[in-house]
Amino acid sequence: MSSTALIRIALGAYFVIFFSYLLGPLVVMSLTAFNSSAFPSVSPWACFTYEWFEVLFNDKSIRQGIYYSVIIGLGTVVLSVSMGLAASIVLTQIWPRLRSTYYTMIIAPILIPGVVLGISTLVFWDRVGDFLGVSEGSLLDLLFHNGIFLTILGQSSFIASYAMLVFVARLQRFDPGLTEAALDLGATHTQAFRKIMLPFMRPAIASAAVLAFLASFENYNTTTFTIVDYKTLTTVLAQKVRLGINPSISSLAFIIIALTIFVALAFEANRRNQARKNAVKEGKASTPKKGFLPPFLRGNPAAIVFVALAFVAIGMVGTAQQYSPESCKIQYQEAKQIEIQRRIQELQQKRKIRDQSGARNGPDIFVTPPPKKVQPEGGSGAFGNVFDPGNLNSDKNN
Amino acid sequence: MKKKMIFSEFFKNNGVVMGSLLMGLVGFWLVFLIVLPQLSMLDYSFRFNLPPAEQGGPKDVYTLSNYQQLIYGSDTTRQTYNTVDLMVFVRTIIAAMAVTIFNIFLCYPLAYFLGQSKGSGFVRLLVVLLIIPYWINEILRAFALRIIFGDSGLLNEALMLLHLTREPIDFIRQDIALYAGLGYAYILLMLFPMYNVIESLDRNQIEAARDMGASWLRIHRRIVIPHAKPGIASGATMVFMLSAGALAAPQILGGPSSLWFTQLVYQWFNDSLNWQQGAAYAIVLLASTIIIVLTVMKAFKVNMGDIGK
Amino acid sequence: MSSGVAIDLENVWIKFGDFVAVREANVNINGGDFFSFLGPSGCGKTTILRAISGFLEPSDGRILIGGADMAGIGPNKRPTALIFQNLALFPLMKVWENIAFSMEVAGASAAERRKRADELLDMIALDGQGDKLPSELSGGQKQRVAIARALCANPDVLLLDEPLSALDLKLRQHMRTELREIRRRVGITFIYITHDQGEALTMSDTVAVMKSGVIDQIDTGHNIYDHPSTPFVASFVGENNLFRGKIKQISGNEAVISTRRSGDLLAQITPSQVGKLSVGNEAMLFIRPEALELSDSKATGKTSISANVVNQEFEGNSFSVFLEGDGGKQIKMSVPNLGQDNIAAAGENLSLRYDAANAVVMPVGELASE
Repeated sequence: MSSTALIRIALGAYFVIFFSYLLGPLVVMSLTAFNSSAFPSVSPWACFTYEWFEVLFNDKSIRQGIYYSVIIGLGTVVLSVSMGLAASIVLTQIWPRLRSTYYTMIIAPILIPGVVLGISTLVFWDRVGDFLGVSEGSLLDLLFHNGIFLTILGQSSFIASYAMLVFVARLQRFDPGLTEAALDLGATHTQAFRKIMLPFMRPAIASAAVLAFLASFENYNTTTFTIVDYKTLTTVLAQKVRLGINPSISSLAFIIIALTIFVALAFEANRRNQARKNAVKEGKASTPKKGFLPPFLRGNPAAIVFVALAFVAIGMVGTAQQYSPESCKIQYQEAKQIEIQRRIQELQQKRKIRDQSGARNGPDIFVTPPPKKVQPEGGSGAFGNVFDPGNLNSDKNN
Repeated sequence: MKKKMIFSEFFKNNGVVMGSLLMGLVGFWLVFLIVLPQLSMLDYSFRFNLPPAEQGGPKDVYTLSNYQQLIYGSDTTRQTYNTVDLMVFVRTIIAAMAVTIFNIFLCYPLAYFLGQSKGSGFVRLLVVLLIIPYWINEILRAFALRIIFGDSGLLNEALMLLHLTREPIDFIRQDIALYAGLGYAYILLMLFPMYNVIESLDRNQIEAARDMGASWLRIHRRIVIPHAKPGIASGATMVFMLSAGALAAPQILGGPSSLWFTQLVYQWFNDSLNWQQGAAYAIVLLASTIIIVLTVMKAFKVNMGDIGK
Repeated sequence: MSSGVAIDLENVWIKFGDFVAVREANVNINGGDFFSFLGPSGCGKTTILRAISGFLEPSDGRILIGGADMAGIGPNKRPTALIFQNLALFPLMKVWENIAFSMEVAGASAAERRKRADELLDMIALDGQGDKLPSELSGGQKQRVAIARALCANPDVLLLDEPLSALDLKLRQHMRTELREIRRRVGITFIYITHDQGEALTMSDTVAVMKSGVIDQIDTGHNIYDHPSTPFVASFVGENNLFRGKIKQISGNEAVISTRRSGDLLAQITPSQVGKLSVGNEAMLFIRPEALELSDSKATGKTSISANVVNQEFEGNSFSVFLEGDGGKQIKMSVPNLGQDNIAAAGENLSLRYDAANAVVMPVGELASE
């Protein structure tokens, strides 16, 4: 008995660790978006604020990045979904002996490092331009060196594999007899594809398109090479994060997380509704009873949680109308100022004691006291002279 | 002759219009987006970095110098090795392997739990919870870890509050943040293939084994793990390849003194503008990771067809 | 209504790699006929159907529909309509859209299509069900929709690939009648594929019996049953008692076989083999269970067999009596149920006799495996 209890506890602990590893960082990052501290952190908590959202919305480079990310995303969706669909159809028809070679080829881009894909795309199209002898500044030359064009190609080369996997799963349930029936009834191959295969594949096309868009939107490794002189959201973010982090990025993350949760729950609710409808159709389940909850929420705890969260969010925004972060910030600033003052005084106190003892015992601590001349210049030292005791004096004088 | 027949049959089955469309799309993808770019990069890696005026001129000949650069550095006498870059390479490969193994152990229990508890609402909710972080931008996920692992980050604050440490630990400089970030970035690519195969395992097999008195450990070793092998292999392959080829996490979470191999590639391309050299480094990365994956797959008797399931 | 057109297979071979699915098929199907291909699964009958409808090309030989060579003409340009084994109704289209699909691809307006679909729905007694989805119909209803969909294309030839195999027995028998009725009304050529001899014999004007890619016999159902030309046909179609032996004597179209265990037996030589057998040849002789009758006199002569009763089974319209002849030879006899309580007790010795016209003899050949 006790050993099963132990296993249970171990399992529970493991779950907690796993999910906090997975979700904890996102929660912390979301919270930092609301802390007024200029460095993204939750502790110490300064003031609750929305100002980082404002900073975010006013950031022109991020807006530009989103704009290009969306354009590239749409291009990638069109190209990778059509290539993936074609590849999956060919897979169902290919000569059995070629099948595994072909499959390896169309699955390989998933495994090739994105960096390699980016480089190879860049190098190849540059050479195609050279090979075709396109003159500098001509239309083709502009195209082959255009970051948007190259990024769409580079991303599609592996996102098409993801799309292909989605289609293969769906095609396994397609009855080729349906296409034959359509042909037999006089349809051309194109008509049979458009009227029979395409409607059947529509749900898979929708999921592949969403998948492709998201994969494109969040891609960094390939994009950073192929984008040349444009900027997508990820490359803008990467640059910002490398240069220095600030909570406006957290606020962007918060928005993306909220959107993702919403989309995930909407998908899940849709899936459940569909499953229920099918069950009703097959007579396996009764039609849902008219109940207290609207249909969207029925039997969907995730959606209920989400609606609850939405209310909390609305409440928060509501309170924000009355709550003024400015006053808090001023208070916090004052508190900080007082704290600094206190520390300075402490230090001064210490120095006084040290100076006095130093005066008594001779210059054994300050072997070479800093020359007075240098001090006023400040900031020229390795650490901006923050450790220079003289700095504290000048600070106080300000 | 036979090839010709296959093509004519293909067009007969799909019609000329649809057949050409399918062929065109697949051909464009395979030839212009996969095969030729890779070949072109391979070709590039054997060339000198010449100014545009000299390209195609007498000096534009094939060379091994870009590969020699990795091994011997700029030392033309080839007496000393390029220890800096070689160390980066070895470290990247070993760390990517370690991340992969870490992910296998971390994911297996959860994959087993999810796979064997048949589709309850709670499990669906867990799966949705798992998918959400996957759709958050790679950069932002690395950023989130940076907030946590930073000098005055949450983890250090917590450790100091608990008096476990007196000084903040420099997780970034010690590369702990990087390894945690790499493990974090691709953990779901390990979890889901495992989950899918374990889900397809007939529960009765486990119960039968238990019935025959097999211990908990033996059930896993003899029944679950052999069944889950394709999923584990698929997940491990993806995590290893993507970790070794990661760029965002090392750039954001890597310490200033230690580099990831992809960062060297990035530097050759974007900082030194020496594409040929960068291509050579990229080829080395691609070839070595593929060789490692194929070797491991062969050792564990897994087929390529299992990948991506 | 269009009248049926003739279909001719001239020396048709169909190969998949090294595997020969159809070997040298020569078939002439008259316009308006109900023609069946009968054979066990894997005998190549579906392959022939797919070649006629245009989904695959014969490796050799010609297929003519209405006298026109169909080589290189795709399934969508042939005057045939195929009813698939699994029906292949389009699951995402409504019933009426399914039926009028051939008009849709030909560019007919929605109103025209709806009108024609409603007419056909009337014909198959599904009026008012046009707006349902196929998944909402029962098995028999789906069957009729598939037929209506094929007929809507106004084909000259209707090809049916075991369309009744998925239905239960009652419905199957009902659909047989219905199919015959539909054919009477539309008057086009029907080509029917089945492994069920009952379906083939009841519905068809002509039946072709196939085994592993070869057509053994093409004839009326009646002739197939009464005068099978090969041991395969004799053993595949209906039940038969087989006696092996050597030909002892031939006179005209009759022969005496000296069997190993049941003495000398007289039988007709199957029509296609008359003149091809000679004395001393190994031969097979078949007598149907229902051709055997009880004889009052002791079993003597060349049309009588002596056997002991093993057991009997009551089949409703008849009794099946299982007997053991000399040397343990298994014999089955069928006696019509005319109100008797019992035919014979187990262990009883019976004399059986038959009419020589109801027994056939033929050269040795492969038997149906069932």
